[in-house]
Amino acid sequence: MKWIYIVITVLLSIPNLYAQSTIVQKDTTKVLQEVNVSAKGKKKIKTDTKLAVSVDEFLASSQSISFIKRGAYAWEPMLNNMSSERSSVTIDGMHVFGACTDKMDPITSYVETNNLSTVAIKSGQEGNLHGATVAGSIDLQRKNTAFGLDKKMSGNYQTGFEFNNKQYFNLADLSYSGQKFAADGSISFRNAKNYYDGNNKEVKHSQFNKFNSSLGLAFKTGERSALRVDAIYDKAKDVGFPALPMDLWLSRALITSASYKQLFEESLVQFWDTKIYYNAIEHYMDDTTRPENLVHMDMPGWSTTYGLLSKIALQRGDYSSEIQLNAYDNLSIAEMRMYPQDRSNRTMFAYSWPWVTTRFAGLSNNNSWNLSARSHIIVGGSLGVNYNYSKYVEFNWIFHPGAPQEKTRLLPGLHGSYHMSIDRFDFSAGVGYGHRAPSISEAYGYYIYNSFDRYDYIGNPNLKNEVSYETNASIGYKTDRLGIQAKVNYFYIQGYIVGKILSMGSPMNYQSVGVKGYTALDHANIFNLALSGHYDILPTLHWKGSLTYARATDGRGGNLPFIRPLSYQSSLQYQHKQFGIQTSINGDAIQRDYSPEYGEDKTPAYQIWNLSADYSLPIRKVNLTLQAGAENILNAYYSTYADWGNIPRMGRNIFTSLKCNF
Amino acid sequence: MEKIILFLTVLCYALTSCTKEKTDYEAEINTIIPERTQFEEVATIQNGPYTLRIEALGGKLYKGYNEVRLKISSQGQPRVSEATLLPIQTGLDEQTATCPHLHQLTYKADNDYFEGYIVFTDESSEMARWDLQFGFIANKQQHNSIQHVTVQKQSNKNLNMISFIGSDGEQYIIALVAPQKPKVAENDLVAGIYKLNKPTTGSTLAFYSQAEGYTLELDPRMPEPSMGNHSSPNNKDLLPGADGLYHGVVNYTMTGNWTLNFILLNQQGRIIKGTVVPDDFTPGVAGVKSELHIDILF
Repeated sequence: MKWIYIVITVLLSIPNLYAQSTIVQKDTTKVLQEVNVSAKGKKKIKTDTKLAVSVDEFLASSQSISFIKRGAYAWEPMLNNMSSERSSVTIDGMHVFGACTDKMDPITSYVETNNLSTVAIKSGQEGNLHGATVAGSIDLQRKNTAFGLDKKMSGNYQTGFEFNNKQYFNLADLSYSGQKFAADGSISFRNAKNYYDGNNKEVKHSQFNKFNSSLGLAFKTGERSALRVDAIYDKAKDVGFPALPMDLWLSRALITSASYKQLFEESLVQFWDTKIYYNAIEHYMDDTTRPENLVHMDMPGWSTTYGLLSKIALQRGDYSSEIQLNAYDNLSIAEMRMYPQDRSNRTMFAYSWPWVTTRFAGLSNNNSWNLSARSHIIVGGSLGVNYNYSKYVEFNWIFHPGAPQEKTRLLPGLHGSYHMSIDRFDFSAGVGYGHRAPSISEAYGYYIYNSFDRYDYIGNPNLKNEVSYETNASIGYKTDRLGIQAKVNYFYIQGYIVGKILSMGSPMNYQSVGVKGYTALDHANIFNLALSGHYDILPTLHWKGSLTYARATDGRGGNLPFIRPLSYQSSLQYQHKQFGIQTSINGDAIQRDYSPEYGEDKTPAYQIWNLSADYSLPIRKVNLTLQAGAENILNAYYSTYADWGNIPRMGRNIFTSLKCNF
Repeated sequence: MEKIILFLTVLCYALTSCTKEKTDYEAEINTIIPERTQFEEVATIQNGPYTLRIEALGGKLYKGYNEVRLKISSQGQPRVSEATLLPIQTGLDEQTATCPHLHQLTYKADNDYFEGYIVFTDESSEMARWDLQFGFIANKQQHNSIQHVTVQKQSNKNLNMISFIGSDGEQYIIALVAPQKPKVAENDLVAGIYKLNKPTTGSTLAFYSQAEGYTLELDPRMPEPSMGNHSSPNNKDLLPGADGLYHGVVNYTMTGNWTLNFILLNQQGRIIKGTVVPDDFTPGVAGVKSELHIDILF
């Protein structure tokens, strides 16, 4: 693995090598395509009823993503009903690892909607381009303005106020596109107080404060090449987590990268994009706001990642391919310090992540062949090497005597699918096979308190890879006014990692009822079904709807936790000139297949009704959009199957926003 | 562009410097536990041509288990190959007693010193003055030396000792020998168990001997009330080893105060001392300690 280090060190130590090389980006069709994509993406970051949304709200509108919510902030995305360690969550392909052992900082919490252009979600092994995965990938793609656009400057400003939690936000971004230089910058502030549930009761410790800014600078270095440096700085302070016994005092992330892209004309190779990146996250929990806690604790965490990715896109005739090299080195540290009631006594200290290094290097390849005008196949694979090192392995030895300090795993992945369109129908069918390595908590975690089932969790360095076999299919029908689609996928996962009650050890956290160790189930089955449709009732009136169903068992007939019950979403949109009105309902059916073994109880059904109206007002070159609306109009009191500790969701929320862009 | 890159680099450093420092876990243990790794001189005695140099870890003697070395240098004289040690405690009324120790010191030819141990049962005070009596044979002649020493209060709780009378009416001493500096880890726990023998006729001193064939059952717990009687897995009871000491395994799951709860069983498995501690998790309430326990801290 040393070579990764060497490569990264060399690349980092000679940044001016890029500056001296002479290559430029030309206004080829490729570049223009990218502009189109990002312009489309800009429209994408909204929901059916809301124009100004947070990243979480936006992701929640996707069928394949559900959320574990521990409060109003930093929801943990679940892809295909699998928790976040099973999916590869990246920012522009860069791996970033949260620094909180309690998953209070998923990667999605370190970006903001105004520095993203789109979010690419891929299901299952199709998502293995950026590294090994089981559930799929979520790639948060940043804004990336092309060179030489007609419009040199463009910008957006959004502000708004939400009444329920007195949230106000200000988001601004500015882009510049010159012949040789392009830049994107964004800045945002969000501030929210506690929210109120459907019984108009204040949900204490649900406030948040977030600051996010980003800067991207691109320089043409030659006819068809460009150098780009990017940075995101995100800071969240005083964030409450009502479902947890602790809040967040401060979390900061610095996410930086430098990339070099070379385009090729009329050759097999379309482009070659290489990026080096560095990100550092610090996360400090805080329980001083919870005087009811018996024990005062400090739980700081740090995560630092260096990485490299290099991608080549090939195309010849009906064949196109992408090959990507991924390499990263991450060091995750989490500490736990408990203070005795008599503060003159010695504090008690342990590492919940004992300085765990993860190094990964892998090669991924995706190929697409157009067999005919109506059908194509996609075949791909990836092979990665995953290396872990636990510096204070003696912590792990307490529960797993003699466990190796270092562990190297091989992570293969394969997928293939066939796509066909006949008349108004299109079909696809695919299969996949892939491995993933246990996460840091699963392999090396030490007394990580899970407030959901109230157990302390112990990692197991000897866990085997989780091996997934998946199959998926889809069928769609489309006319000018109507579109319907059905998608199914099924995962058979060997060695599915879950927490099992250990007969040894005793709890360390005072709220805990016992100790669970991460162990592998023989296998688990996960089945997901999603139906969606849209229909243009009138040229000005559009309907959209979706239905999802999932079922997951642990192989012995028991249910897996956090599996979304039958859920539905339906929205109507009416547009008349500059005026638009939208309404939607969404809800979950009763959670029949819950899992008491993992701390779940039966969650009743709920239904939410939302309504909003907007008006666009062009004033010279500036386009103003005003929106007002209400979520959960009927003020339903509810919590979902994935609300940590059954914390109630927000009651009626009236929101207003103003957006202007030029 | 170089300027921009430079600016970004500086910015990176400014932003990535952590708000809170990471804990230097190993250094933190060192602040609680005095490091005593080197054998240093405790005292030197001159006996004719012979110089006796007494050494202990850190150059000081403490209540509890002490490993001691005796170096005898003999200018021009033949090498001394046998030496004995006898610690004597003198009380206020001039009555004398001894403590567990190795009487016949072991000669280490490689390094030319004698090795032994002393388990001081009290720290030096007016009520307990300590002298070390050395004897050695040189030129077929018995030489004796005596040296007054000061026994300090044990500053490392991991070397604490306990003395008690068992259910068999005998007096016992349990002294912790290792680990001197525990870690959050599996630690090899070593203790000496000594039994006081009845004075033999004609002797005023009652000697201790190493207890043989006993079992010392172990149940480590954190005494802090908020830890709710927390314990650790995979501990092993202490059993006698070839070196006459008792060896077991203790797992400490975090730093801080711990109580080693013991039950001492004799060769027949009868309880000499100690009680079973409840294993309930009782947040906010300090756990019950065994009648036989030693508190440690790291």
